[in-house]
Amino acid sequence: MRQWYRNLDFATLLIWAMLCACGLVAIYSATHGEAQEFLLNTVQNSFQRQILWLMISTVALAIILSMPMRLLIRMVPWIYLVTIGLLVLALLIGREVGGARSWIYLGPIGFQSAELAKVGVLLMAALVLASRRKENSIMNAAMIAAGVLALPALLIVLQNDLGTALVFVGLTPVLALCGGIPLRIVGLLILFPIAGYLAILSWQAALGFTVLVGIIAWYGTRSRVWMAAGVVASAMTFGIATFALQYVLQPHQVARIASFSNPEADEYRTNVGFHLVQSKAALGSGGWFGLGFRQGTQTQGRYIPEQSTDFVFSVIGEEWGFVGGILILLLFAALILRLLWLARAIDHPIGNLVVAGVAGIFLIHVCVNIGMVLGLLPVIGIPLPFLSYGGSALLTNTALMGIALACYMRRAEFALYW
Amino acid sequence: MLSVLSFQLFRLQVTERQDLSEIARGNALRDIRVLPARGLVYDRNGTLMVQNMPTYTISLASRYFDRTRIPLLAKHLGVPESVVSLRLEEAQEHNPYRLYPSFANVSFEQYSRILEDSYWLPGVGWEIKHRRHYSTNARASHALGYIGEVNREELNAIDQQSDSSLYRQGDFLGRTGVERGYEPWLRGIPGVARRWVNVYGLEIMSYAQGQGDQPPRGNYDLHLTLDYRVQELAESLFVNKRGAVVALDPNDGGIIALVSKPDYPLEMFNEGIQSDAWQVLVNHDEQPLYNRATMNLMPPGSTWKPFMALLGLSEGLLGDEGGEATIFCPGYHPFGQGRFFRCLDVHGHKNVVQALQNSCNTFFFELAHRMDLDVFKTYANRFGFGVEAPTDLREQTAGFIPDSAYFNRTGRYWGKGAVMNLGVGQGDMGVTPFQLARYAAALANGGTLHAPHMVSHLVEPETNERIKLPAISDPSHLGIDTAYVNLVRRGMRLVMEAGTGRASQIPGIPSAGKTGTAQAPGNFTDHSVFIMFAPFDHPRIALAVQCENTGGGSLCAAPIASLLAEMYLKREIPPSWQTDIRMQRALSATSQSLVSTAE
Repeated sequence: MRQWYRNLDFATLLIWAMLCACGLVAIYSATHGEAQEFLLNTVQNSFQRQILWLMISTVALAIILSMPMRLLIRMVPWIYLVTIGLLVLALLIGREVGGARSWIYLGPIGFQSAELAKVGVLLMAALVLASRRKENSIMNAAMIAAGVLALPALLIVLQNDLGTALVFVGLTPVLALCGGIPLRIVGLLILFPIAGYLAILSWQAALGFTVLVGIIAWYGTRSRVWMAAGVVASAMTFGIATFALQYVLQPHQVARIASFSNPEADEYRTNVGFHLVQSKAALGSGGWFGLGFRQGTQTQGRYIPEQSTDFVFSVIGEEWGFVGGILILLLFAALILRLLWLARAIDHPIGNLVVAGVAGIFLIHVCVNIGMVLGLLPVIGIPLPFLSYGGSALLTNTALMGIALACYMRRAEFALYW
Repeated sequence: MLSVLSFQLFRLQVTERQDLSEIARGNALRDIRVLPARGLVYDRNGTLMVQNMPTYTISLASRYFDRTRIPLLAKHLGVPESVVSLRLEEAQEHNPYRLYPSFANVSFEQYSRILEDSYWLPGVGWEIKHRRHYSTNARASHALGYIGEVNREELNAIDQQSDSSLYRQGDFLGRTGVERGYEPWLRGIPGVARRWVNVYGLEIMSYAQGQGDQPPRGNYDLHLTLDYRVQELAESLFVNKRGAVVALDPNDGGIIALVSKPDYPLEMFNEGIQSDAWQVLVNHDEQPLYNRATMNLMPPGSTWKPFMALLGLSEGLLGDEGGEATIFCPGYHPFGQGRFFRCLDVHGHKNVVQALQNSCNTFFFELAHRMDLDVFKTYANRFGFGVEAPTDLREQTAGFIPDSAYFNRTGRYWGKGAVMNLGVGQGDMGVTPFQLARYAAALANGGTLHAPHMVSHLVEPETNERIKLPAISDPSHLGIDTAYVNLVRRGMRLVMEAGTGRASQIPGIPSAGKTGTAQAPGNFTDHSVFIMFAPFDHPRIALAVQCENTGGGSLCAAPIASLLAEMYLKREIPPSWQTDIRMQRALSATSQSLVSTAE
């Protein structure tokens, strides 16, 4: 009999281990040093706690890899139900940390329900899309899957954790594409966030984008309906975003959103822009090769808030330089491409969907987080997978990767049991 | 998408590196000005009089403060939790990411408790500043002087001169007394330390291992000629009185005590004086800020007689017999039919020594009658009256000695009468206690006028390098025959042993002195004036005491001077019946209130 681990993809595991190690080094640098006593004492312990969580995650990874595929799939609806239950529980008895009521405490250990929810939601949505019968419309399944995504997203919005909720919104086009939904609909879905983003940046860009959408839609579909749909959707997003910025949102919310493109402006740099100014300064002072481990003045001087969690990439950028930053980006690219390559090798739609979904979640996190650190996106509280300090996130991301690896490793089992 | 990120990463880290790392350096690299500790001040026996005491300030960076720790911080500071919350909001409004000084002047115990618990108190910082602390009971307000925050005009003036890092907004500088006179030595030159600082402005490490740092330098401790015990005793004897004391070392002009009463505690100025407190000091009827010792002008009264005696002897106004020549005192001077120029007693024939001993007015009226007014002024100037003395004290008044031009100008009773009044130290003249003390010192040492000074030497605290400042000026001489000076000294000794100063002798130490009563204008009680030196043969202390509106010279000023001299010479005042009498007289004398008699 073949050894069970023969089909385990060690390349992915290696990348995972490297990312986790980089994360630990960066967290250590960000939480130790002369200004240490100024940090919250929970933050001072981040390094030790992250190691502990890494051990817990490794155990979870082993458990997931050892589970038969049939059992895993049977469990999906229950996992989803537990997830929803946890999110509701967090709303009822959760503790508020950093403005978001998403923490549930079991004695001394706290975890973030919204992070853990990613696993159940991805699996459930994939299950719904994959178990469609031939005679049913794809759109029906898509609607149900959208509901599966929307319910937890809504609960997380209620918890006041907009960033995490956005991950589910971002997951929609990824799953739609893999679930067999026509490209034009997926394109329409992707159009909204891009139009919204450009609307914040400048109205000229948004206008140009609308025209571009019309042209692409015309040549892509040769259908006036789709062209109109694209243009209207783009223009509408533009209009709504502009209207919201002008009349609906509070001034401090507008400042937070609008400040990312010029955080250095006088009205921003000491408040909402402070984060980005400091983050960019850290990256700039890193240069090609960085200032060296625990030598970054921005890092050691604690100029960047949240530098061990959401802004950990600025620590890497300052202390390891462009070379280090590119290394991290390459590692993520390798991880995502490797996962997509694994997805192709699986013959069953649920396997494809789950693995591609995992890759999609990682991609969204990496892009949004690093985009935010680099000043390309507004500051949204989303951690960098495997690098940012955060036990729930590390456990969740490791579990997601574990499920993807399990799908690949046990790809033969789909045919047997299904 | 990842390539977009890579491109932006490249842009930030390579293309825009220069600008961005400039921000980072601007953040983190700070040239911290290191002020030298302001020089300490010691008295002539090495007792520490002025030192620097640390004061502690607790600062908050609200963004990093853990609000669940409000009770802990409140407990350590001993304030209600609501106060901590309030200060947090203030800090938040200022800048949530930077430390904001929230609690000033916390005690050392509170500060150290917070330091111990700093692990539990993120976002809490501290700052230590040094303030002047006066460690003896001697106030010496006018001698030591106060410090004050440097103001805008002074900063501009310093900028124009040269070194702009010498003073910055919020720095203190000496405003009066030795704090002002020796400001450059006390302050020194600030150094520079280049440091990496964190977001709270706290230093985390030195730049390039401290190369290029400049330590502060050039600050010196002052060693005064002041004796804090004499100063302290003088201040305590001046209860209920206005007036001044100046005590000098007749051998070199060192100031042993410099008292001006009423005074004020120098601590008032430590943190920059509150404006209402300043208004009280400035508008007070008795003018506590006014340095009476060097600025208060009043006629010298009979303490002027030794001067007149020397003038008369030197100018030959007593004829060929000199010291043996006598003048007859019928109890008045015949000029003006004996109505205006009265003597205290009917003295009969008196020579100069006897005239001094009994303070015979008639004798000195006659001398003034015989003298030339312009010669009088020349002599007075030679004795240090009517001119500013060379000294390291910044505030002083030249005083006023009239000459013929003055009387011509004013046109008032220009006649023998006005001039004769000058002979007994009354009328249109003004001298300061400071000048009287210098004159007493010159009589003590046989005729040498030294430059009175507060500081004997400077010591660099690190290296113990000792600097003796060059003399302020060469001593000048009165130009009077020593034989004449000795005659006058003998007369002054008799004042103490058998004259008006009898009750103020120092037990066991022969001394010389002269009482004086300066007439106060209007309805006010006369001023009590006294000059003295001791021991008689080798004088070590010369004093001038002036008590405003307390009556005759032997009543108040003489016992005070005597007690001070005894304290200086014996380093204590042993109990005796003489001590009791002097103490009783000194303490019971009271200055007539300026307010009640003003109407």
